[in-house]
Amino acid sequence: MADAAAHAHDQGKPDFFTRWFCSTNHKDIGILYLITAGLVGLISVAFTMYMRLELMEPGVQYMTDADGYPNGHIWNVMVTAHGVLMMFFVVIPALFGGFGNYFMPLQIGAPDMAFPRLNNLSYWLFVAGSSLAVLSVFVPGGNGQAGAGVGWVLYAPLSTSEAGMATDFAIFAVHLSGASSILGAINIITTFLNMRAPGMTLFKVPLFAWSIFITAFMILLALPVLAGAITMLLTDRNFGTAFFDPAGGGDPVLYQHILWFFGHPEVYILIVPAFGIISHVISTFSKKPIFGYTGMVFAMVGIAVLGFVVWAHHMYTVGMSKNAQAYFMLATMVIAVPTGIKIFSWIATMWGGVLDLRTPMLWAIGFLFLFTVGGVTGIVLSQAGIDRAYHDTYYVVAHFHYVMSLGAVFGIFCGIYYWIGKMSGRQYPEQWGKIHFWTMFIGANITFFPQHFLGRQGMPRRYIDYPEAFALWNYISSIGAFITFASFLFFIYIVWYTVRKGERVTEENYWNDPRGTLEWTLPNPPPEHTFETLPTREQWDKQEAH
Amino acid sequence: MALQDEHAAGAKAPAARFQDEGSAIDWSERSDAPLLNLDLWPNRSLTVPGRKRVLWLMAAGFSVPLLPLTLTKVIWIPLGFCVTVLVALWYALRRNTADGRMVERVTLWADELRVERIEASGRVKRWRADPYWVRITLLEQGRPENYLTLKGGGREIELGAFLSPEERLSLAERLEDAIRTALRGAAP
Repeated sequence: MADAAAHAHDQGKPDFFTRWFCSTNHKDIGILYLITAGLVGLISVAFTMYMRLELMEPGVQYMTDADGYPNGHIWNVMVTAHGVLMMFFVVIPALFGGFGNYFMPLQIGAPDMAFPRLNNLSYWLFVAGSSLAVLSVFVPGGNGQAGAGVGWVLYAPLSTSEAGMATDFAIFAVHLSGASSILGAINIITTFLNMRAPGMTLFKVPLFAWSIFITAFMILLALPVLAGAITMLLTDRNFGTAFFDPAGGGDPVLYQHILWFFGHPEVYILIVPAFGIISHVISTFSKKPIFGYTGMVFAMVGIAVLGFVVWAHHMYTVGMSKNAQAYFMLATMVIAVPTGIKIFSWIATMWGGVLDLRTPMLWAIGFLFLFTVGGVTGIVLSQAGIDRAYHDTYYVVAHFHYVMSLGAVFGIFCGIYYWIGKMSGRQYPEQWGKIHFWTMFIGANITFFPQHFLGRQGMPRRYIDYPEAFALWNYISSIGAFITFASFLFFIYIVWYTVRKGERVTEENYWNDPRGTLEWTLPNPPPEHTFETLPTREQWDKQEAH
Repeated sequence: MALQDEHAAGAKAPAARFQDEGSAIDWSERSDAPLLNLDLWPNRSLTVPGRKRVLWLMAAGFSVPLLPLTLTKVIWIPLGFCVTVLVALWYALRRNTADGRMVERVTLWADELRVERIEASGRVKRWRADPYWVRITLLEQGRPENYLTLKGGGREIELGAFLSPEERLSLAERLEDAIRTALRGAAP
């Protein structure tokens, strides 16, 4: 046995390099994920500013050759880079890698992740992948220019015929991101299943920890399939195979099927962790326990399961049979049931509660409203007949940005304002948080709401230019994008200010939530090692019986 | 609850493979029945049937995209990735359970208190003392809470550091009671 006081032995503070570059501590790795995702997000959003600037007026003003001719390749590269970065290197790392790493082990009373070194490897694979993705913009690509202009979905035959190495960079970036996410998911599943505090049965686990576990399961099921698809792209590109080339007996539609088998669950991989955060925030700031805990858990499980059997609603126009379209249409609409349960339960939690409209709550209510808008347009798009008209129009762009840009990203901001005091030991200035919320809420709505109109008018996606008839709403949309970007820059300043000069918070449970989960029993910021000794039941079992 | 008189399913003690170096304690088998025999092990929330269910669920999930591809050449690459992930998950769950598989065995006779710790690697550490001189200390304040130590035989050891604070408290009380009873019984 260990000699006494071995635990109390002070290992000394690690130096900067050891702490941040060789970290095996789940809390430090969580912070690293959040910071890196924020930086990559800034790059990705900067690309969109360039795009919205170009779309502000009809005609091509900025993305031109040296002799002034429109250069569509630059546009394609921007679209690709924005999509790849946001889908793989911003939202998943922030929600799943950042908050998941930091708070899931704390909420279940585990001392760390099951495999701390594997956790470190996951993070650095993500950094390597992000670097490759950003590099793919600058290395030689198609049309004799730099960058991969194939879209984030990497559809064959465009992705198999695009010249240069940029597309290979993008594919390898996605591969590394996949490896990182798979290792992270295995770590999280093992931690969640095997290291919960004694007595914490599955239906006693906080909803955020549940959301991270369900996300990990989805990642583990979806990403190996994507890895298979993009490996076949690589061999088609570089080794003369013809998996997706009809000339060699292959089928490009097969790529779409495999891609979307991953791609649709990916949407839920992005949004489910945000569901978890929103549940905690709404409960805390309504001063009520969450309504229908069990229903909330099963709704997330239901969304995850259904997410795997609806993929072809992204491909109604590829020539599927009517029966297949009918099935995918009905299956898609069924998802509205568990999603509806969640929305209903959040509203029921607020109902009759003493609402405290602090910044995290504003983000949560904003999320609720906007995610519902995105969900409703999703039901519209799920109709195979209506989708004939809307497919590849700005209506789709508006829909998925409402779900992701206004859903998942609002979830990230909500989590940051909710937990930044816990993570840094300092609190953000409340007024600034509110200004950030309102500017981003208004800006993002001005950006994306008019895109519904553009889609209904028939404006197609993925083009650098448009006829003059679409000018008004494009102009307004661009103004909204600039407001949103300014708001994002202000947010970066708020974080910098909070971490450097914010007011110190000493109270462990600073939102005064009597039902606070385990992280609220720890100091701000928590010590390097937490729950080396198991937490007591009174510390975590505060919810009414459910 | 990780504090019981007998092994629970899924928490089997590892086989003792090698002894702590320099351990020269007389550890000869005793034929007389002990007054107290406790096994302590760390908490692991996943049972073996639970692990099997998780893996089957995962395999069923993979069958959705893979079954339509059976009998085509396209299946091999996705199948390779899926099988790799399944094996990795199986290994991770098993390894994590094994990492936590250690046992501290406390045995008390009227004239001897033994603590044997068999770690996941098979390393065995042993300690023995005369219960009359053993001092049990429970540090209620500080971190970790309810830190339990036994002092005797020229050494102070920690006991049940992996248990929850409430479990250590009940362990300390139980041990104190048992020693008191043992000494009372041993008195002439």
